[in-house]
Formats: sequence, C-alpha cells, structure tokens
Amino acid sequence: MQGSLRALEPSVLKGEDKWVRSVCEMCSSRCAIDVRVVDGKPVWLQGNAFDARMHTSICARGLSGVSQLYDKDRLTTPLIRVGQRGENRWREASLDEALSFVASSMQRLKKTYGAQSMLFSSKTGESFDLLSSFASNYGSPNTFSHWSSCPIAIESALEQTFGERAYRDFEHADYIVNFGHNLFEGLDIPLSKAMARFAANPSKKLIVLDPRFSMMAGKADEWYPIRAGQDLAFVLSLLHVWLRDAKYDHAFVQRYCIGLDALKASLKETTPQWQERYTGIDARTIERLADEIYRAAPRCILDWGHKATTSPAEFQRTRAILIANVLMGNVEKKGGIYFAKTPEMLNELLQKPLFPLLQSPYPAPNVGISRIDGAGEEGSAYRFVPKKHGVLNSIADAILTQQPYAIKGWFLTRHNPLVTVADPQKMRAAMATLELIVVNDIYMSDTAMMADVVLPEATYLERDEGIHVHQGLIPSYTMRNRALMPLRGTQSLRETVRRLADALGFGDAYPWKTIQELRAYQAKGDSALLESLVKRGYVQATIPPLFLREEASVRAFCERYAHVDLMRVSEMFERRRKTPSGKIELFCAHIEEAFAGYGVPCAVDMDVQHNYPYTLISGKSAIHTNAHTQNVPYLHALMSENPLWMHPSTAKAHGLRPNDTCYIENEIGKEKVKVFITEGIRPDTLFLYMGFGRQTPLLPKIDRKGSSASKLLSLQTAPVCGAMITNTGVRIVRA
Amino acid sequence: MAKAYRLIFDENLCIGCQACNVACRLENDVPEEVYRLQVHVTTHGVFPHLGMHFERRSCVMCDEPPCVSVCPTGASFQSKDGLVHIHESQCITCKYCILACPYHARFINPVKNVVEKCTFCFESRLSKALDPACVSVCTTEALRFGDMDQEDSAVAMLSRKETVLFPKAHLGTKPKVCFIPARKGAKV
Repeated sequence: MQGSLRALEPSVLKGEDKWVRSVCEMCSSRCAIDVRVVDGKPVWLQGNAFDARMHTSICARGLSGVSQLYDKDRLTTPLIRVGQRGENRWREASLDEALSFVASSMQRLKKTYGAQSMLFSSKTGESFDLLSSFASNYGSPNTFSHWSSCPIAIESALEQTFGERAYRDFEHADYIVNFGHNLFEGLDIPLSKAMARFAANPSKKLIVLDPRFSMMAGKADEWYPIRAGQDLAFVLSLLHVWLRDAKYDHAFVQRYCIGLDALKASLKETTPQWQERYTGIDARTIERLADEIYRAAPRCILDWGHKATTSPAEFQRTRAILIANVLMGNVEKKGGIYFAKTPEMLNELLQKPLFPLLQSPYPAPNVGISRIDGAGEEGSAYRFVPKKHGVLNSIADAILTQQPYAIKGWFLTRHNPLVTVADPQKMRAAMATLELIVVNDIYMSDTAMMADVVLPEATYLERDEGIHVHQGLIPSYTMRNRALMPLRGTQSLRETVRRLADALGFGDAYPWKTIQELRAYQAKGDSALLESLVKRGYVQATIPPLFLREEASVRAFCERYAHVDLMRVSEMFERRRKTPSGKIELFCAHIEEAFAGYGVPCAVDMDVQHNYPYTLISGKSAIHTNAHTQNVPYLHALMSENPLWMHPSTAKAHGLRPNDTCYIENEIGKEKVKVFITEGIRPDTLFLYMGFGRQTPLLPKIDRKGSSASKLLSLQTAPVCGAMITNTGVRIVRA
Repeated sequence: MAKAYRLIFDENLCIGCQACNVACRLENDVPEEVYRLQVHVTTHGVFPHLGMHFERRSCVMCDEPPCVSVCPTGASFQSKDGLVHIHESQCITCKYCILACPYHARFINPVKNVVEKCTFCFESRLSKALDPACVSVCTTEALRFGDMDQEDSAVAMLSRKETVLFPKAHLGTKPKVCFIPARKGAKV
C-alpha cells in the first residue's frame, strides 16, 4: 500500500550495518583496523586488509577495543577533588565547569609562578603533538613523552650513528640475532607477522638472547639465556672477532663510515673469552656465531629491539648492535636494514609531487625557557635528549627540590607515571606537593586518583583524528575515523585542548576549530587523500620496495619510473648524512667530548645487579599494554595478575613453592609477589610482566593485584640517552 | 555440495597471543567465565634445554563424534558437511556429551543453561563463506581453513606439503582439526 511501511525499501527497516576503517589504540603500534558497526554499535574488529601486511589479523588487545568501550568502569563524568589529594573524594562536575576550573587554575599558576611551572605529558602520537603544542602556546617548555621510559635509547643511538631512523627487513633476512626484542608479546602485527614467518621457515636461522625463555626464545633455533644486562659484552666480542679476522664489509666501512680505528682500539680486549664472565655464553659459541653471521651477510640483521634498557650502558649496547649491522654491510640491502623512503625523498627522486606532504596542525612556538631536566640544552647532562621528549625520571626530584625553578602543576593525558616510571613512591610524594594536577583518561588510573580534575576521555573508537604518516620502505598514511559518537560526557583531547586554548586566550594559534578543518589544513586541501582515508583508513604509495644498495631493487624501481636515471637513485645513498661528520659514525666525537668513554662502543656501566643476589627484569605480555588495559574485561579475564618468574633452584633455596608469596626488595622499595616456578628463566634472574601492582581503589578489580617492578627501580638514567633502567638488583625475603 | 572442511593449526607459527580466544568470545558472545577456544602454551625440558608447546583446545569436529551417539535427545547432531552442532532447544543439559568428548571441548553456557562448543562460526560466518573468526584474526596466520576437496585450497596444499597430525588420532574420532607440530626446541 502506498504510504505504508510496506512500501519502503527493506533496508530502511534493517538498520545500519557498516564498516569503519580506523587505527587501533589498544597499544602504541597503530595497526590499521576495520570496525563492523551494527545499529550504531561496534560489534567486531579486525585488521584493515587495505594494509596488505595486516590482512585481517588483529591481536587480543585490539579485539578487546569493544570490551574497553563498554567497560562499566569507564569514566563518563568529569570529577573534581573535594578531599585531600589522593584521598579519593570527588564530586561530579559538568564539562564546562571542569574545563573552566582547569583554565582558571592554569591562569593562576602562570601568573604566580610562570608558565614553565606546568608540566605536560603523554605517550607519543597525536595526543603528544597536540599537548606539546598546547604547552608551548601556554608558555611551558616542559613536555614529556613516554620515550625516556621506552624507546629513547634506540632513537638516540640511531640519531647519533646514522642521523636518522633505520628499519629492519625481517621478511627477506636469512639470519637474525634477537637481543630480547620480544616481538611476539609486545605485538606490532606487520612486524610480528614477518618475524613469525621468519622463525617458522626452516631455511632461516633465529638466535635469541634473553635471560628468560620468552615466546621469541621458544621460536629460536638457538636460545642463549644471557645474563641480564650483558648484551653489550656479547656484541663487543662479536665485533672483536670480525675486526680481528678482518671479516666485515671493508668497502662499505671505508666509504661510508668514520671512526674504524677508534673502534678497533676500543675492542682490543673484548675477546670471546673476555665476555664469558659477563654473559655466561661460551667463547666457542661466539666464534661460531660470528662466522655464521658473516657468512649470511648482508642478509642478516642484528635486531636492536624496541625498548630494552638493560643496563646503564644502554646507549652503548644499542650503538654496538647498530655498528654490528654496519660491519656486516647490510645497510640498504634486502634482508638487512634500511632508511625511510619518505614522501619528500620520493617526490624529489621522481621529480613529481606524487606523494602528499602534510603540514602540522599543531603550532609549537619556541618558548625560550630552559626545561627542568635541561634536555637538549648545551652543557646539560641531557643535552642529547630531544627537547620535546624530556626525561621522566627527572620529574620527581625537580618537583621535590623546586629546582631549577618552581614546579606547581602537571597535565597528563592517558599517562600513568605512578606505574610506568621508576620509583613511584617518590613520584607520589612529589605529586602530593603540586597545586594542580589535571588527568585526561578513560579510567580512574593510579595517577588520576592524585588529580584535582579528572577529564573523561573518549576512546579511540569514538574519535576522529588527523592523518598519520608511517615512514618505512614504502610510505603510508592512516587516519582514525570514529565508529560511533563519544559516550555521553566524554570527549577527545583535541576538543578539550581547543576549548582550553580559547579559555586561556590563545585559541587563535590554531588554524582549525573542528576536526574537518584540522584534517583539511593538515592535508593542505588534498580532498582525494582525505576521501580515501575516510573510506579506506589506510593509503599506501604503490612504489616497488626500494633498497638503495640493492642493484636489482634499484633497477626494478627505474623500470617502473622510466624517467628516473639509475645513477640518480643510487646516488641518494651517497649524500651527506645528518650526523656531525656527514658519515655513519662508528665513533661520535661530540659524544666522546661530553661523555668520556661513550664515543665508541666499549665495556662501561654494564652492572645492573649491584651486589644483590638476583636481577629483576620485566617485559610486555601479549595480553596487556603497559599500564593501560588491566581493567578491560576481556583482557582482565585472560590475565589478572603477574606472578614472579623464578627458577626451581632459586625457589628451593628460599623454601618457596608454587603460588607462595614472598617479597622482593632493594634500597628503592619492597614489593609483595606471588611465585611462579619455571625452568624458563636463569636461576639468578627474576621476571615480572609490566603494568600490575596498581593502587586504584576505585578500580577494585585491579587494585593491588599482582606486583609492580617500577617500585624497585631507581631514578638513575642511562648516560647520553636519559633512558630509565628497567633491570635492577633485588633480594628475596620470605613473607 | 557437501564440504570436506579442515582447519590446520601450525604450532610453528602460533605465538600463544590468544587473539583467537578473544575473537571467538566477541563473535559468539561467549560468557566471561567459559571458553569455546583457548590456546594452551606449556614449556617443557630442563633449563637451558627447553621447548614450547602450543595446543589449540576446542572442538575438533570429529567425523566419528562420540558426543553425538551419546545424546539422548538428538540435540547433538552432525550436518551433511560432517560438522557437529547442537540444537539448543533440544538440549536437556544432561552432560553426557561433555563426558563423552575426549577433547574437553564442551561446556555449559551459564547464561543459556545449554551445552555449547565451537561451531566453526557456522551461522554467523561459515554459512556466508567467511572463515571462522579465529582463523580470520590470527596475528601470525597460524590457522588455515578450507575445503579439502578443492585441490587448490590453502588447507589442501598445506596438507600435501607438511606432515599434519590429528589430536588423539588413536581414538578413531577422525577430527577435522589437525596440527603441524613444532620443529624447534627440546622435544617433549
């Protein structure tokens, strides 16, 4: 009948069933995802197959995005503190009230103590770029990313050695030496998948060094339970053997590197016999491995890992590993390591603007005030630490001593330093003295409980964001597209920051108000790119993979782009590098000048045990992300605590049985642990997964469940790079 | 046409990440305290000579299913493709099938109070020519699924190339789920 319900298309009655392409945020790997949304609710998540490396794969954490979205413990109303700081007495407030409270408090601090008295912290990514911009427009130089508690050693070592980031071609390698890079638990789907294929291929060889029988170790052809923190000694002896026997890529080193003589001089004594006492690995094994790696070169990778921070010598360890790759001549070789083929570089090479260049929508003017940690400042202990990332370990002391100047406030977005930074006891005491703490988060975290104002954030499934460029062999672009509107009361950090900027009087600094304007600005009006990113969530350049020192690869590239001269491509590698010498630096003169003994790899600062009987090490699990996911129902059901790994002989020596509780302690702290007895760890080593042992009475499911390794870590940092040191000496005490 | 389904679990590729486990829960709305699918990871050997074993624990879709013959009401049945399913409305929760299953694959859904297990995601995915949820999300592509009658299917090709083993093969249940055993590490 005309005009009746029956006359309508059946689809009108069926409700909406659509796919939204976005970017995951259950960890920091930023995998491209595909979200199925039925009647406005996300019901299914999978990898975004437009990224061929993903296909439809996704991990347990990624799949749990829906579980996080609808977790009943999620924050949906702003809270303002009414009791003492940390006492957990709150009142609900409207978003307007909460934001105006934050703005007026920040205004007051700026007037009384100066804008530099506010600290700002976030993990890297869009939220960090946004917050850094907010901080500098407000007038504070004190921005902190998670870097110094995570990948800063590798970032720093790459910068000092190559002048840029390098990447690993696991896919085509024949031989990989893995130094505790636990890719099968700290997942990054494209990388982990490539590594899994490698490990499962009988014609390839995987060597894993780890004090613990990790998932990676379980897939190794040979596993060496190296003594914790002693990677450096192992690599120094490998380098020694190669230099002793002249088994390295002479032509490459001569042409592209500086400092071979200094390296040789430094490695005279680091023989395979010498390293035995540090690593516990047999000298003959080193000789054999050195020979095998050399024979596999250049299709070999010495994998520097992501976050390792094994000892104070972290910078040296990581540089030594990079230099091992260099000696094997695997740079810009298939199955070796390579540098990013950036859109800028490709456009220049092809003499056409084929790949979109973005402009930053986050203006960050230089505020002209030095930082509390001196990061990036000439003459400071942290002169080689990037200014915008800072050193998290320096915060507590700076607050407690109010040096170098008054520090009164801290704005944190989904950052939980009371779990992820060393010595949280001291950090808690420091936080207690602040006048303003603002926490933007989806959960009432340990840190949120110390706040004056808690702002409930929308999760990534509810957020539209800007464009992200992924650098690598082939550049790609991703964009977070929201699958549903934010739950009542929550909003994105972008909206929060934009409103606060208006209230603080510097809204004009931003060339955008809405996300549409932000995206258009960022893409410089490239509507085709934006349209693809809304529809597909992932856009990749279609160039053939290009390894500049691989003849076949260069030829294939030039066949595809006939107008590009072969020589022109090869010459890209001949350019001056962005290091002080313009070459790959085996020896860094400017580092040596500031940190004697650190210019070239050598055996320094390798002790982590400090006369304690055991070394406590920690790491990621495949189920949880740092201090972020412990309350997510699906993941909590899989892993709700983190018992301490202990070798049977250690347990026996202390009269401990499975599931017994005991304490581990050192001069920093004392932590209660439950014992998990396993053959999969060295008798002198103990292991904890990260992110547990929380103090979150408002999240009762995870409150005081499991143990926190951070409580036993000192605020000492690794020279040059400022990294937190996550291995430490402890003793076992009976409960 | 009837299908000869097979699911291959490659222990060499599995990293025990539990993506399959969570995917199954999300796809099939499995209540929190029970599982249709888990991967158990165990370490064996004596330090430092160790090995890791990965075991997929779920229904193996027997060609000769002991759970069907013991069912007093016909709730447990086998489809023309040889898949074992449960008519929820006919299940009286007598638990005979739970005891009969040598793979410990069945359990009582505490919300519905009926016996439940893996279905290869038959209704929501397989019947629409989609792979089971666990197969489609596997982070390392350790799971392969398909029709053995199609010579060029991934499972047929992989079965020709690799030695596949069937769990508890000696019981004569003829599972459709098989595995490629780990090549590395200390032997059990």
